[in-house]
Amino acid sequence: MKTKEKILRPSSLTSSPSIVRDIQAALDATANERGVFGTRFQYHDEAGSTNDLAMRAAERGEPEGTVIVAGAQTAGRGRLGRTWFSPAGAGLYVSTIIRHVTLAPWITLAGGVAVAEGIRAATALPVEIKWPNDVVTVGSAGFRARRKLAGILAEAVSDGQQVQHVVLGYGINLLPAAFPPELTDRATSIESELGRTVDAGLVLAQTLVALNRALTEIEAGGPAALLVRWLALAPSARGARIEWDGPGGVTLTGVTAGLAPDGALLARTATGIDRILSGEIRWV
Amino acid sequence: MDFSDIERILDLVRQHDLAEFELEKEGLKLRVRKAGALPAFTASPLHTMPVVVPTAPSAATPAPPPMASAAPLSADEAEESVELAVVKSPIVGTFYRSPEPGAAAFVEVGQRVKKDQVLCIIEAMKLMNEITSEYEGELVSAYVENGKPVQYGERLFAIRTV
Repeated sequence: MKTKEKILRPSSLTSSPSIVRDIQAALDATANERGVFGTRFQYHDEAGSTNDLAMRAAERGEPEGTVIVAGAQTAGRGRLGRTWFSPAGAGLYVSTIIRHVTLAPWITLAGGVAVAEGIRAATALPVEIKWPNDVVTVGSAGFRARRKLAGILAEAVSDGQQVQHVVLGYGINLLPAAFPPELTDRATSIESELGRTVDAGLVLAQTLVALNRALTEIEAGGPAALLVRWLALAPSARGARIEWDGPGGVTLTGVTAGLAPDGALLARTATGIDRILSGEIRWV
Repeated sequence: MDFSDIERILDLVRQHDLAEFELEKEGLKLRVRKAGALPAFTASPLHTMPVVVPTAPSAATPAPPPMASAAPLSADEAEESVELAVVKSPIVGTFYRSPEPGAAAFVEVGQRVKKDQVLCIIEAMKLMNEITSEYEGELVSAYVENGKPVQYGERLFAIRTV
């Protein structure tokens, strides 16, 4: 497997591929808004999985905010071993290290907000969040017609006492080639939605700006502001018919009824209000 | 209190790996302290009944010879004692014993585990939390079924550390 690694320093790039130049320029332009995110940055033309690289970097002691980006992933992953299709040049594959472990319960919601706000800021494409953090298109044809633009995989390592560190990974489909053709009715890309090219560096930089903003807000004032932002981006969190897998593999159905203070999705069922803390929801 | 009571106390002290145990009852004061960096034992002037909980021999502070009547155990016998470490859930979430559906479990009962080895994943809010072992030893129990919800502090595994 070829893995060319470039460790970038501010304004150090003169003869790199255009994607790397775009990223560097966008990171330089947002240096005051990203906090620690992206101050240490690696670009790989190809990697197995950026989350695996970031996890190893975290174990080596690399600091919070270290960002690893790949032009392609040969073993991109989603939840529970699912593959995240990651061909060269079609998507943005990003992982970052978070060491403020008290933020761990909020990182997946913050990640969804960061990617959604980052895409909006960089491209003006309106996007929404599906609980807890899939980023999907906006439309008038009902939630089932929403197509996925970006996915997030957050992974943590804990001993029996507490979380040691968290890696937040996200994949954003930039071009239609970023997803397999058989997923056309469920997946899309930023460029196919907009009908024009986008600056991948700008998308990366704006997601890091939004991530820094979300995490800084939680540290300063608790999760209330994050929950407000998240709800504003997730109209399907209220009044949408869903099904999900309950304990023991039973399929449950209900209607979404907002977020609990801990970020669990609430759903009204025939017997009351259920809390959904894990797994995925499906539109029905 | 007779010697069988003291034997029971010694068993409990060993079982729970206590560094020190003190009991005062009916004019008797019993104090048990593990042989180690501190003095091996002390006792009240009256009714002195020193006992020793054997541990692995320490070169720095040799354990005093146990009294014949006070449940003497050799260091070898002490090393055979079973120590179980219980791994508990640090978060609320859904418990997974394997990295993906259909894959082999991270670790099976009866297998050896090393420190920092991944034992399971607990998912909460789509944060996949790998729980690593703080202990080295043999996995002797897995308390939770794959895919079941777990609460904070719930027992997940027992590891025989000795």
